[in-house]
Amino acid sequence: MTSIMESIPKIERRTKEIKISPEELAKTIDHTKLSPYKPTGSMKKLCEEAKAYHFHSVCVNPCWTRFCANELKGTDVKVDTVVGFPLGQTTPEEKAFETKQAIGEGASEIDTVMNVAKFKDKDYDFVRDDVKAVVEAAGGKTVKVILETGYLTYEEISGACKIVKEAGADFVKNSTGFGPFGATIPHILLMREAVGGDFGVKAAGGINNFRDALRMIAAGANRIGTSAGVKIMDSYRWARHSDWLIEEIPCRLCPSRKASFTSMPKSVFQYYKMQCVNCPYREYNRFYE
Amino acid sequence: MNKSGGARILRINLSSGKVTEEEVDQDTRRKFIGGRGLGVKIVFDEVDPGVDPLSESNKIVFAVGPLTGTAAPSSGRYAVISKSPLTGTIFDANSGGFFGPMLKALGHDVIIEGRSGDPVYVWAHDGDVELRGASSVWGKDTHETTEKLLEETDRRAKVACIGPAGEKQVKLACVINDEHRAAGRGGLGAVMGSKNLKAIVVSGHKKTPVANESKFRETVKRCLMTLDKNPITKDSLKIFGTPSLVSLINETGIFPVRNFQRGYFEDADGICGEKYLERIFVKPYACFGCPIGCGRLTRANGEGGGGPEYETLWAFGAQCGVSKLEDIARANYLCNRLGLDTISTGSTIGCAMELSEKGYLTEGIEFGDSEKMVELVRKTGLREGFGKEIGEGSKRLAERYGHPEVAMQVKGLELPAYDPRGVQGHALAYATSNRGGCHLRAYMIGPEVLGVPAPLDRFRAGGKAKIVKLLQDVSAAVDTLILCRFTSFALNIEEYASLLSTATGIDYSAEEFRKVGERIWNLERLFNLRAGFGRKDDTLPPRFLKTPLKEGNSRGRVVELEKMLGEYYEARGWTEEGKPRAELLEELGIEGYAR
Repeated sequence: MTSIMESIPKIERRTKEIKISPEELAKTIDHTKLSPYKPTGSMKKLCEEAKAYHFHSVCVNPCWTRFCANELKGTDVKVDTVVGFPLGQTTPEEKAFETKQAIGEGASEIDTVMNVAKFKDKDYDFVRDDVKAVVEAAGGKTVKVILETGYLTYEEISGACKIVKEAGADFVKNSTGFGPFGATIPHILLMREAVGGDFGVKAAGGINNFRDALRMIAAGANRIGTSAGVKIMDSYRWARHSDWLIEEIPCRLCPSRKASFTSMPKSVFQYYKMQCVNCPYREYNRFYE
Repeated sequence: MNKSGGARILRINLSSGKVTEEEVDQDTRRKFIGGRGLGVKIVFDEVDPGVDPLSESNKIVFAVGPLTGTAAPSSGRYAVISKSPLTGTIFDANSGGFFGPMLKALGHDVIIEGRSGDPVYVWAHDGDVELRGASSVWGKDTHETTEKLLEETDRRAKVACIGPAGEKQVKLACVINDEHRAAGRGGLGAVMGSKNLKAIVVSGHKKTPVANESKFRETVKRCLMTLDKNPITKDSLKIFGTPSLVSLINETGIFPVRNFQRGYFEDADGICGEKYLERIFVKPYACFGCPIGCGRLTRANGEGGGGPEYETLWAFGAQCGVSKLEDIARANYLCNRLGLDTISTGSTIGCAMELSEKGYLTEGIEFGDSEKMVELVRKTGLREGFGKEIGEGSKRLAERYGHPEVAMQVKGLELPAYDPRGVQGHALAYATSNRGGCHLRAYMIGPEVLGVPAPLDRFRAGGKAKIVKLLQDVSAAVDTLILCRFTSFALNIEEYASLLSTATGIDYSAEEFRKVGERIWNLERLFNLRAGFGRKDDTLPPRFLKTPLKEGNSRGRVVELEKMLGEYYEARGWTEEGKPRAELLEELGIEGYAR
């Protein structure tokens, strides 16, 4: 997997070549609020911001679908509802039911969570059928499948992408935002390579500024899930006035650096940490920085 | 007696007592806007760079901007511009509170020139300007002065004044308004003192109209939404105020300790934002029209007042090895009353402590001796005993004792509360600052530590010069409006340009707005070059270039200044000696100044 690590500086350099207008960047953003405690006023504000900035969609929990659809009626902003969220451990039938209800209440896009446990069991038929159930229930609406890449090795990420594509979904997405990792260059790059150019890749989790967003686009994402949409768009106004894309040291962008013993399976944690042993950039891995 | 008109200038000659009124031509307004821009232009045009800053020939400008006193967020500021007695450079300092909007409501910027034979204050109200005798308040502290002058004039008026430090021309003296807001740095209070000018008292009733009311309100609404979305302006500064920085900067390993000998303060818990809330905090307050409200009213040892802010917590805290919050607050209150800049005062005392520690100074002043520190603040403000030497600033103090390397300053201005060794871009901003060691000319802590507007690797030197230049330019431009610098955690250049355009009715693109800042920066540079500054002065104390920090999260680092400086001059379009090229001045429309 040395080549994956070597890809980080390459992608970091490619970020400088991304030419994207603020309007185009806004249209890649699913403006997200998936909090367990944000009340109505907060959801209203989310919709107002999405309208003001012309984001692609608002991404919300199911109980807010109808509310947001009403708020956004007559605008170009879609409603994106999560299903089987955030653990992906509900049954295919339950996921299908949630999907139908969300579509019925005005959702145009569904972000569902893959059953990672069944994937770890190598029960790939179950995983495929689980995704298919959502795709069929969505009736042609866009379906994105969250892999939760923080629980997966690089090889597993590639394998999961292929299953999702076979199941007829439209996008693979890396993270719920509640898992161990946010979006990282290697994961998004692997996902893009696995699904090919004609499929969607959504990067989500920890994308807090325009540099992060551009990195993900350079790695292959064509959709960004973030709760920092306003900040990204506002900070992007600075981008044109100077060269902000000074290269970051590879370790800061690498999932191995972010691996956490407390939040991921022990075997996966060890897998990521072992990548550092032969990494060509290991001398940069100074933790106090 | 004069009648006020629109946005005009009052020229008050203290030598003759003559007051005149002038228009500012459209070209100057367009190119320099107001605030710092206008003040720098006036000082450049009218003050000989070689002049003694405390002589009759120096001038001091009080200026507001097109957004001062409007509905624009955090617009309650005014600027003071002069040649600094501390640094010898052209210098601007600005302050919040409520004096600025009142000056705006008066409808004038003010130029003070000459020197009065006796102490006076200016009383400007609704078109009338009087020079009144100040013998009743001469020798009084800033609180007593404010109270007395409000009693003598109008309770609704606002006062910007000096304390005993300014009167005695202490080079660390500041201008205090609203009792605890300060145009703090550079010793501009001493310039007032040298002119026998105790205060400016203003009361105005003019509305501050904007050119395009509906578009302006729309822009303001959008800016307020942005400020309300940003975690720094919405949460950190509002809840904890600037003391919220203590823990973060300390953990980053760039919280200077004992005159920058270390970058990690073991006793930081004693002075952090949480402890501040627990021990001395009374309530928050906001300057005019500010949705952030970072101001803190505090009480300690039976005394109350505004602050201390982050920089002051550091200057009388870690810099002097002190962790008693109440003693830091005492020193802060004393500075406000005496009219002293807390950063330079605390930092110079820290310098004296290191000189003493190393045996270069016979005066026994030990790190951590907070009683002696507070006493030294008092002596400095009153120019008594060893306080006289502190009052000259750290550069002169350390030179006097034969060890200039112990002064943590750039161009004579004491460095603030960030050790540059752990933030390369910020180090470059310190070295190249036109007014000396200052964190506000280009707040690279934003991108390098806070990730605003985008995170940059703080240890990387290469590529930073262009960003430092951008922030310097934009900061200078924002200082013409004048908006509080804290808004830039959330607002971007386009929003500033939009506020300005809708308020004035003159269209500025984001790029034109930035260029205003670049124009000001180059004009300041030209002044400083003529005052004898040059590449040799764009540097840092040798400690930062040669001695790595030993502990904390920035250990092992020194500043790679030479590499960055070359890049910086190139980015600026300057020669290798740091002189603006003729074609640059032409492009900026200030070619006539390259005489």
